[in-house]
Amino acid sequence: MKKLIALVLVLAMAMSFAAPASAKTYKVAMICDSSISDGGWGTACYNAMIDAAAKMGWETAYTDSIAQNEYFDTADSYCQLGYDLIYAPGNQYTDAILQAAEEYPEICFALLNGAVTTPDKAVNKNVMSLLPDASQIGWIAGALAGLMTESGTIAFIGGMELDTTKGKYEGFGEAAKYVGGLKGKTINLLDCVYAGSFNDSAKGVEFAKAMIDKGADVFFGDASAVDSGARQAIDEANTAKGEIKIYDIGQPADILGQNPCVICSQVTDNSAMIVAAMQAVVDGNFGGTTLFGTMQNGCLSAGRISDLVPAAVQEEYQGYLAQMMDGTFMK
Amino acid sequence: MTDLILATVRMAVPLVFIALAELYSERSGMVNIGLEGLASIGALIGFLVTFTTGNSWLGILAGALAAILVNLIYAFATVTLCADHTVYGMAINIFAPALASFIYKAYFGEGSGLSQITLMQGVDIPVLKDIPFIGNLLFNQTPMVYIAFLLVILTGVFFNRTKAGLSYRSVGEHPKAAATLGINVIGVKYLGCVLCGALAGIGGAYLTTCYVNTYSEGCIAGRGFIALAAVIFGRWTGSGILLACLFFGLCDALQIRLQVASVGVPYQFFQMIPYIATVAVLAILGAKKAGPKAKGKPYRREQR
Repeated sequence: MKKLIALVLVLAMAMSFAAPASAKTYKVAMICDSSISDGGWGTACYNAMIDAAAKMGWETAYTDSIAQNEYFDTADSYCQLGYDLIYAPGNQYTDAILQAAEEYPEICFALLNGAVTTPDKAVNKNVMSLLPDASQIGWIAGALAGLMTESGTIAFIGGMELDTTKGKYEGFGEAAKYVGGLKGKTINLLDCVYAGSFNDSAKGVEFAKAMIDKGADVFFGDASAVDSGARQAIDEANTAKGEIKIYDIGQPADILGQNPCVICSQVTDNSAMIVAAMQAVVDGNFGGTTLFGTMQNGCLSAGRISDLVPAAVQEEYQGYLAQMMDGTFMK
Repeated sequence: MTDLILATVRMAVPLVFIALAELYSERSGMVNIGLEGLASIGALIGFLVTFTTGNSWLGILAGALAAILVNLIYAFATVTLCADHTVYGMAINIFAPALASFIYKAYFGEGSGLSQITLMQGVDIPVLKDIPFIGNLLFNQTPMVYIAFLLVILTGVFFNRTKAGLSYRSVGEHPKAAATLGINVIGVKYLGCVLCGALAGIGGAYLTTCYVNTYSEGCIAGRGFIALAAVIFGRWTGSGILLACLFFGLCDALQIRLQVASVGVPYQFFQMIPYIATVAVLAILGAKKAGPKAKGKPYRREQR
């Protein structure tokens, strides 16, 4: 019996020596404060990681719905488990990631929506910002809002006051005003509101009701589950009127069909950026830079458009999207 | 104005259920700070059952049952084993939301899209609902809103006008004296925990079956703690709790309306309103009456 055990142990040892000889399996872990099944931000970021990992043949793991005081500890435990890349989808993780990056110089950290200045702050140069262009995101939704609004009042619901949220809000407003102006409309963008949460859908219901009372008829947002509450309130208002006259533009995945009020989605394909980050890890040149996601490199686009948008308007909208692509929009 | 009041009622109702849960618990001497957790499991199970059966009443019932089961862990630890109430309340707050998210993921799978349900229909009472101003407020709500208000009245009657209510309260004030009168102290404490679980579960399930047609993790969003404050605020009485919850609801509804209506005022200013109001009112009311005397204390029958 002892001999058998010894044999098994020797075999196991031999196997463990043999394993590194085969190609290394890289591992990526995602930390996220919202849920990966929120039908919005969390879902889109998680799917982006899964898509990118499938393309690159990486293993994945995630921890979601974590509180602010758990950001660092969660990242830290994945570092200790030997993950090659820690993927943190949000600007709010910046401090936690910078701290972890200092303690684990050999591990790479990708900060989605990270600031341009963040990679330079990492002493070990092992942090990369993946930054979808917030203005372009706003433009994609804003141009359609400018075309579709009848009341001239449009609204935006934010989750927390992040730089990227402010950028989207501003882009949304400037594109809507530009496009609406060309159609002879005066666009009134309501002040940006913040739910102070990405999970409290009930707040979304209340914000949308209040904004509908103020005459808003096209909505865009950046607040995960709060936005799904807003869409519920918009649907209710439309049902009460008997026709769909108040619209919502979804983000960051194509959610057309999820709610009757959704006329289009601003789609952010973060997987392209994550693939680039993974390639940099494999090539050993990761870190120190910001990778921008734009319409030009395929990261940003407009999703499918609903039949609620008349064909002529759809055509006009495609024209504006083409202008955004070749850099002539609002010029 | 009518819209503001309607929003106030909508936001207050889940708080009313959850705060009444705490009232029944504390009146039997059990301080349960695990309301957030109980409401979370109620919200999830309520949503799941409504999603699968299409019947929101079944959902609410299942939400209540699930929260009772979870709260029995707290009851066994604190009543039978005389463990610390705060520690076990906190344990429920950590355990129950995690259990809820585990069940959600096990059921819907990872990274799935958004599941939606049909909300409970409102009952609009004909003719009466057309009365200007109060018509929509009083006669065009989901049945759960009426149940919440009815519960507040029944609670007041129970504690102040019935012998059973007096016995119940005595367990929270002086369990030994209650025991000498032949009241089953342990039984009342367990009853308190069952009622607490049921009401907190209903409060959570209300959110996902009558208010919002989707479920998202963390959708209770601190309401369990606000309800806890509402009990202290409402001076451990049914009517006081109702007023406190309406007050919190009003502050929240107001800050949302003001954020939307304002131009150029920093939004943080409005988000402060509910909290400043709480501090101000508590400072004015003071803490003259600090609730049931024996709350939070373990009861051992043999001990002097």
